[in-house]
Amino acid sequence: MDIQKEQFIKNPRTILLIVLLLASIISLCIFGLQEGLDLKGGSMIQLHLEKPVDQDTMNTVTAVLDKRLNAFGVSDVKVRQSGDQDVIVEIAGVTPDQVENIVKTPGKFEAKIGNETAISGSDVQSVSSKEVTGERWKVPFKITTEGANKFAKVAEGKAGTPVDMYLDDELISSPQLDAGLANGVPSSEVEVSGGETSKAKATEKATEVHTVLQSGALPVKLNIVSVNSISADLGNQFELGALIAGFLALAAIAVVVTFKYKSWALVIPIMVTSISELVLILGFASIIQWNLDLAAIAGIIAAIGTGVDDQIVMTDEVLAHQDKKSHRKNIVKTKIKGAFFIIYASAGTLIAAMLPLAYVGFARGSTGIGMLTGFAVTTIVGVLFGIFVTRPVFAQYIETFFVKSPKEIEQEKRRERKSKG
Amino acid sequence: MIISLTYVAACGLEESIDLKGGTIITLETKAPMSQTEITNLCKETTGINDVQTSISGTQATITIDGEVDADTFTQKTSDKFNILSFKSVGALLTGTAMTQIIYSLIFAFVFMSITVFFVFRDLVPSLAVILSAVCNLSVAVGGMSLVGVPLSLASVGALLMLIGYGVDTDILLTTRLLRQNKGSLSERIVGAFDTGVTLSIAAILSMVVLYLVVIIIIPSAQVLEDISIVMILGLCSDLLATWLMNLGILKWHIKREN
Repeated sequence: MDIQKEQFIKNPRTILLIVLLLASIISLCIFGLQEGLDLKGGSMIQLHLEKPVDQDTMNTVTAVLDKRLNAFGVSDVKVRQSGDQDVIVEIAGVTPDQVENIVKTPGKFEAKIGNETAISGSDVQSVSSKEVTGERWKVPFKITTEGANKFAKVAEGKAGTPVDMYLDDELISSPQLDAGLANGVPSSEVEVSGGETSKAKATEKATEVHTVLQSGALPVKLNIVSVNSISADLGNQFELGALIAGFLALAAIAVVVTFKYKSWALVIPIMVTSISELVLILGFASIIQWNLDLAAIAGIIAAIGTGVDDQIVMTDEVLAHQDKKSHRKNIVKTKIKGAFFIIYASAGTLIAAMLPLAYVGFARGSTGIGMLTGFAVTTIVGVLFGIFVTRPVFAQYIETFFVKSPKEIEQEKRRERKSKG
Repeated sequence: MIISLTYVAACGLEESIDLKGGTIITLETKAPMSQTEITNLCKETTGINDVQTSISGTQATITIDGEVDADTFTQKTSDKFNILSFKSVGALLTGTAMTQIIYSLIFAFVFMSITVFFVFRDLVPSLAVILSAVCNLSVAVGGMSLVGVPLSLASVGALLMLIGYGVDTDILLTTRLLRQNKGSLSERIVGAFDTGVTLSIAAILSMVVLYLVVIIIIPSAQVLEDISIVMILGLCSDLLATWLMNLGILKWHIKREN
């Protein structure tokens, strides 16, 4: 038995499995797991652009949104593109009021004197912090030299006329032009101000204007197509539920397997193999920082389910006709080959069926059915780990321990027959 | 299979809000409220009449057929409800999703069929496997219509899973019967049956466990509930399709070859 053990452990396939398992555990310890929105709670806002845009424009859109949300004081924001026409914004915690507005605002800023544009959004160089006194607010900002020159030219000699400041074509403030600014000398210090009915409203407005001025304008119009927010409580419930479900599903499988084989020498390796697969999938997810959501967990359960299936197929193939005496080793070899034929074929069909889903997720982005990408990917990854890493080790196990000790198998058989009879 | 297809044709499938647009809100009531009370309050608040409510304990899931503004709804109902999750999908998204679903299903099926043909390189057995997949799918879809599982992203995921996974037992049976020649035909059938039924039972059981856990502990995890129901339906159908239909076809095929 010791020689067999040594042979089994020194087998390259076993070593590979052990190395990968260790790597997974280390990665899990260091990087941890990235939890999806539905497990940790948070909000996801899906935005749809007016028209498909090129990569540059898309980058501007995501950068502007990111800047805006940060400037607005939302912490832990993730803005990512999805295909060429959709953007997904993820926020930890539930959507604060107004975030939707901030995100939707095109942010086109213009200051007009008479009908002439004096400053536009692109002239804004930097924005100072907002000031709110009572119901009045103001946001001072600096404009570029070029912008200042333009402003000076337009403003020259027009002291006392109103400067109409528009945000998205809506008049937000229209102070009178100060004589000091109408003398044709460029000045880079400008401010936009206004009054509201209450202090809270003034602060709100000032924050909005400040945020939009600072982040600049969005190059395309966009619309909110879906909002999905999950409270952290519910997220925790989901997480706990998924854990319990996964554990019990594994236990159910253990019961079926025990009932069928009635041999710990088989049940334990089958369960160990399944658990290794689980660790490998999670380790992989942690290395590539994959977001684990409910769908991904369903995928993991599915992958482990097929894994157990394959081990049952293999065990049955080997145990069947075990009592034929001649060329035991050869028979087992062909049996395992036969089992692997079935295993590869069923893995092939499963991956084939999941590929379109994974493709949609990567090529078209994670809107629509792309939300199931996690499901498809974890299933495929799990199946691949199964057929290339864990299953060969299981085969090796059966080959090593169940072939060279026929006595044990005879005993198993006898026990099985006894319990059946 | 025919019964279930007829049923789908007659009753159609419900579409979830993923596909037809709308809003789902999960909430906790601060004081005990009846289903009608919640429904009415939501109707008042949103001004939309198509409101459905299902309650489990203090949690309620509300489906509203239309777009609702999250902030306004939260503010207006804050003295009665504690909002746990909020999901709204605009009509714009839903058209794309439907097209993607149809394409994914078609391609998944085509890829699966190609794999099966590639593996067996024999027309009759391959067709038998594919026929059984068609069978599983139609029973699952019929069952969805019967039980009222809506066609959602999650249930589509489960259908895709079924395409790939449901044929496993058929592949097992076909391989054992056609590619191996140890033992008599009936011995091989018994062997395959023994293994195959274990596989199906293990899979069905784990899905039943998943379903029960979801119902009892996390009733608002619609994704997992949908996936497990669809899988249970499809896998049960697979038991019949494999051992009644496929076995017959294969036996006939083997006899004809001989």
